[in-house]
Amino acid sequence: MDGQYANDPEWADVTPIPLDDGSNEEVMPLASIAYPPEYIEATSYLRAVMAANEMSERALKLTQDVIALNPAHYTVWIYRAKILFALNKSLEEEMAWLNKVSLKYLKNYQIWHHRQVLMSSREHFPTIPPKELDFLMEMFAQDSKNYHVWTYRHWLVRHFKLWDSPREIEDIDALLKADVRNNSAWSHRYMLRFSPREEDVPDSGLANAGDMSTTPADKGRLAIVDEDMVDAELEYAQKAIVLAPENRSPWWYARGVLRAAGRGLGEWEEFAGRFVEGDAVKSTHAVELLAEVYAEDGEKGQKAVDLLTLLKERYDPIRKNYWDYRIKQIEVDV
Amino acid sequence: MALVSGPGRAGGATSDQELHTQKHITYITKLDTVRASFQSYFEAFIDYELEYWLTEHLRLNGVYWGLTALHLLGAPEALPRQSTIDFVLSCQKENGGFGAAPGHDAHMLYTVSAVQILVTVDALDELEAKGKGAQNGKGGIQKVGSFIASLQNEEGCFMGDEWGETDTRFLYGALNALSLLRLMDLVDVPKAVSYVQSCENLDGAYGVTPGAESHAGQVFTCIGALSIAGRLDLINKDRLGAWLSERQVDKGGFNGRPEKLPDSCYAWWVGSSLAMIDRLHWIDGQKLAGFVLQCQDPNAGGFADRPGNMVDVYHTHFGLAGLSLLKFEGLEEIDPV
Repeated sequence: MDGQYANDPEWADVTPIPLDDGSNEEVMPLASIAYPPEYIEATSYLRAVMAANEMSERALKLTQDVIALNPAHYTVWIYRAKILFALNKSLEEEMAWLNKVSLKYLKNYQIWHHRQVLMSSREHFPTIPPKELDFLMEMFAQDSKNYHVWTYRHWLVRHFKLWDSPREIEDIDALLKADVRNNSAWSHRYMLRFSPREEDVPDSGLANAGDMSTTPADKGRLAIVDEDMVDAELEYAQKAIVLAPENRSPWWYARGVLRAAGRGLGEWEEFAGRFVEGDAVKSTHAVELLAEVYAEDGEKGQKAVDLLTLLKERYDPIRKNYWDYRIKQIEVDV
Repeated sequence: MALVSGPGRAGGATSDQELHTQKHITYITKLDTVRASFQSYFEAFIDYELEYWLTEHLRLNGVYWGLTALHLLGAPEALPRQSTIDFVLSCQKENGGFGAAPGHDAHMLYTVSAVQILVTVDALDELEAKGKGAQNGKGGIQKVGSFIASLQNEEGCFMGDEWGETDTRFLYGALNALSLLRLMDLVDVPKAVSYVQSCENLDGAYGVTPGAESHAGQVFTCIGALSIAGRLDLINKDRLGAWLSERQVDKGGFNGRPEKLPDSCYAWWVGSSLAMIDRLHWIDGQKLAGFVLQCQDPNAGGFADRPGNMVDVYHTHFGLAGLSLLKFEGLEEIDPV
C-alpha cells in the first residue's frame, strides 16, 4: 500500500488490517462499496490500533481523519471517546472541534451522542460550560427544528437541572419570536414548565404517561400546580395565537397547560369565540375547541355538531371522515 | 444515502397517476449490479433533506428496502436468493449481531434488517444451522436473540450497541426481530411497553425519548412496538389519530411534524400508524396516492422524497409500501406492523 500512513515513519510499526468484506471469498458482496483509496488506508490502520486498544495521540489524530472522511462511522466515535478519557485530554478543545463538525454535518446522529457522552462526565463538566447554549443557538440558526439538537438540549436540561434557568426560557422566547410556528420550541417550553423533575420519577412527555396505573384521563395532570405560572403560560399562548390564529402549536400548548392544571377547556370559550363569528372563521382550532366545550354541555350538542360540520364541509374537507367520526360521537352522547 | 440517490429525478407531473412497475424493478436491480459510487454515499450525509433514519451506514438496510420493494412489486426473484442469504450471513459478528456490511461492528439496526431479510426469503433455517454460535447445525437463531436481548437497559428501552445510545427505533426493531424469531420471552416486554408509554406527548403522539417532540417516524416505532406487544389498548387512539391525520397537507402528502414539508416516506410512517389504530380512513387516500405517484421517476424508475428531487432506494421502498397500504392496484398487500 502506498499512502499517507504507509509513508509516515510514525506509523511504521503498525501493520494495517485490510477490510474483509467477503470479496476475496466466493461470496460476492451484494452491496459492496467502491471506497476511495485514502479511506481504505485510514480504516485499515484504524482496525489495527483498535485491535491493540492503543490509547495514543496518533490514534486520536487517526480517528479525526476517519471522521472527516465518514462521520457516520459509528465505531470510530466510541474509540475516540475512550482515547480522550484515557489520555485525559482537554474536553473543551474537543467541544470546539466538535462544534465545527456539527455545523458541517447537520443530520448526523453520532456527533450528538458523542457530545452527550463527553458532557456526561461530571468530573470534566460539573456545571454546564458557559458557551454550550450559545453553540446550540448557532445550530438553531441553521435549522431551528433540528431534532438531534432539541433532543440533546432536553437531555442537558435534565442533566444540569436547568428547568428554571432564565437562559432556557429566554432562548425559547427568542426562537418563538423569530418563528411562532416552531413546534419544537413549543414542545421544549412545555417540557421546561411541566415535565417531571424528581430524580426517582422517570422522564415522560406527559406526567405519569409511563405509569400503567394512571388512567388516560389523568395523564398529564400534575399533583401540585403553580397557578400563577399556569396563568402566565396561558396568556403567553393567547398572545401567540393572536399573531397567527391558525398556528396549531399554541392551541395545543394551551390544552396541555389546562390539562396539567386540571382546568377545563371551558375557560377558553370566550377567547376562542373571538376567532369564530358565524361562518367567518379565523382559526379552525378555535372552532374545534368551541365544539368540544359545547359538546360537554349537553344542551349545546347541536351547536357542537354545526361547528364540526363547518370544518368537515368548508375548512378541512381532506379529513372529512375524521370530522364525521367526531360528529357521530357527539350524536351518540346526545 | 449510500445505495444512492439518483441517477434519476422524480417526474412531478400532476397528470401522471400511473404506477411504473417495471421501471421500478429495473431501478432496484440496477442498484445491485451497477453499485453506487462512494461519492454519492457521502454526499447523502451532507445534503440529505430527510432528517431522520438515514444518516448511517445503510448497506444492509438498503438490501432490505430493495428486497421488500421487489416483493411489493411482485418480482421477488429479481434479487438472487442464495447470494442474498450469503451476503447477510457474512455481515454477522461473533456476538451474534450484524454489522452494516462485512467487517463492520454489530448494531441493532442492521441486526433487525438481517432478520427481516432472512424471514422475507424464508431462510431462518440457514441462520439456525450456519449462523454464529451454531453447533451441529443448531443454535444460530438463539444467538441472534441473545444479542438483541443484551441491549435492553434498566429503563426498558434498547440501545443501538454497547455504546449506549437509546432510541425508540431500537426498541421497535428489537421487538420486531424477536417476534419474527419467536423469542420475545428473552426480554422484559412490560418494561419496554412502559417506556414507550413514557414517550407519549400531550398531543397523543410520541417522540424519540420521553418528553421529546412528537415525530411521525417515532409514532410508527412506538405503536409498532405496542402492537407487537399486544398493548394497542394503551393508546389514546382518537387523539393520536387526530394528530396523524393532521399530517396530511394540501398537496395530499404527509409531513413528519407540524409545519414541515411533505415527504413520500411518511406515506408509510403515518399511513401504517393510522392503519394500526384503525383510522386510515381519516385521511384522503386518493390525494395521498396522487402525491406519492408524483414522486416517481417515470423514465428510470424509483421514488424521491418529493416531486422534482433525486430518487433513492429508501423512498422507493417506503413510497411503494405506502401505496400498498392504500391497496393500490398492482401491488401486493402489506402488513402495517
